[in-house]
Amino acid sequence: MTENVHVISAAMVPFGKHRSSSYVGLAVPPLIDALRGAGVEKADVDAVYVGHSYGGMMTGQRICKEIGLGGVPTVNVDNACSSGATAVHEAWSAIAQGLVEVAVVIGVEKLTQFGGGTLPLSPEDREVKQGIVMPAVYAMRANRYLYETEATPEDLALVSVKARRHGALNPFAQFRTEVSVEEVLGARPVADPLTLLMCCPTGDGAAVVVLASERARARLGISSSMRVAASVLHSGRVSEGFRDMTYPEISAHSAHDAYEAAGIGPEDLDMIELHDAFSIAELVYYEAFGLAERGRGIDLIRDGRTTFGGDVVVNPSGGLLAKGHPVGASGVAQIAEAFWQLTGNAGDRQIDDARWAMTHVTGGGTAGLDHGACTVHLFEAA
Amino acid sequence: MTPTTSEAARIEASVSLPVPDLDADGLVDLFDEGPRLVGTRCDACGRTMLGDRIVCSDCVGTAVTRVALPATGVLYAFTRLHVGAAGVRALGYVDLAGDVRTLADLREDGQPLQPGLAVEFAVDGDDWYFAPSAGPAASAPAASAPAAADANLHANPHDEVEED
Ligand SMILES: [Zn+2]
Repeated sequence: MTENVHVISAAMVPFGKHRSSSYVGLAVPPLIDALRGAGVEKADVDAVYVGHSYGGMMTGQRICKEIGLGGVPTVNVDNACSSGATAVHEAWSAIAQGLVEVAVVIGVEKLTQFGGGTLPLSPEDREVKQGIVMPAVYAMRANRYLYETEATPEDLALVSVKARRHGALNPFAQFRTEVSVEEVLGARPVADPLTLLMCCPTGDGAAVVVLASERARARLGISSSMRVAASVLHSGRVSEGFRDMTYPEISAHSAHDAYEAAGIGPEDLDMIELHDAFSIAELVYYEAFGLAERGRGIDLIRDGRTTFGGDVVVNPSGGLLAKGHPVGASGVAQIAEAFWQLTGNAGDRQIDDARWAMTHVTGGGTAGLDHGACTVHLFEAA
Repeated sequence: MTPTTSEAARIEASVSLPVPDLDADGLVDLFDEGPRLVGTRCDACGRTMLGDRIVCSDCVGTAVTRVALPATGVLYAFTRLHVGAAGVRALGYVDLAGDVRTLADLREDGQPLQPGLAVEFAVDGDDWYFAPSAGPAASAPAASAPAAADANLHANPHDEVEED
């Protein structure tokens, strides 16, 4: 028996290279805006959950003390790309169990601190010692997908073209310009068959959402919100040998559990924000989420069924490819996008009559795992 | 204080000891067969794993044996990595007989890489890599490269469900 949980407010800074901003500098402005957006006072906040992977010790406390928010549990969460969404999951869990009424969730990351290059992974990992980097993992996924299906490099490019077209409409996106298939295919190779424009950029950012119980929502007089219909967190299961890289088991299982918890199916969704860290990912996630048969994700991107006016708008924000991917911030930013879409505040990229949204982050390069962690949320306009 | 009398009451908590895994020499060692990738086989369930391990990730058995992994395998997927210090670097996942997958550097030896290719382990100074198998074995008959037969089963995902 769980209580209804609502997202009642969202705020974020535009993702980008904010070299002059610290974790505190990135996160305090959306923290203030998210609290004000819901009319929430400091004293109303029962707990704070903070997702980040590279912020160092006490990142959440460093942020919150700037507005004098303290004396309540503050939990710092690292789950790689799922850090922010895991923090939301923890907030949801505490509210659903009746332990907390109002929770603030911060997702924040500063990747420009590394001065460029691929994401730093744990040096203790076997494959990291061998020199694996995330682009290589997704490139091998793409290599196998192209081998097993009718997909071509043009299909991979189409995903990037759609992402950049959506991002051009989003003031929070790191990239606001469109690109062509030719430009994507002709960009600098990163890990064959992936070019630079098929990879998400390095950037900094922060996003904040406020979650509340049904009762707190009423007490605060919130009229426009979205209900958390499912909040699912999975970790990867090791495979010492064969693994089908074209079928991401952790994402498929998480989505399955989320559909079951919410009592809906993929056909009910109006929008999805999914983890398109590299363009191949979007095609395999179409299939893992049940939007397409195995090997047929290409039909959706070719036929425009995942853009505005299609069956379901995938990554209306531009996704990781265009909006950007400050690791720990991404999961919260996706939920902010869902909140704006389901409450009719998404501006030029508003999806008409959006009622159901899915958000999905997964990641954490670890030898033997599909991914380290995966979080799937389903939301309903309320 | 009176000493405890019952035998059961005097059992102490066992002391868990850390594994000096940072001292391990890496993934390759010299076995009777020659230089090979190091593997660990579970004495209880037979699951073979890559590298020096102290416990079976399947049955959690701690009776395990260090073994040489097979020198032949099948390339599952590969990429040429253009970022990083090494120039263009070919990397792939190789499926060895006995259902063990390893990440490996690849050398092409004039034969274009593609998934499903039979590949062979080799050592060059401090480096190790896989390259396309020499001669007729490159066409991957099941007899000379058992892993090839395994991998072919998986080429069509609808043929077989390999979920966990
Ligand atoms: Zn075992």
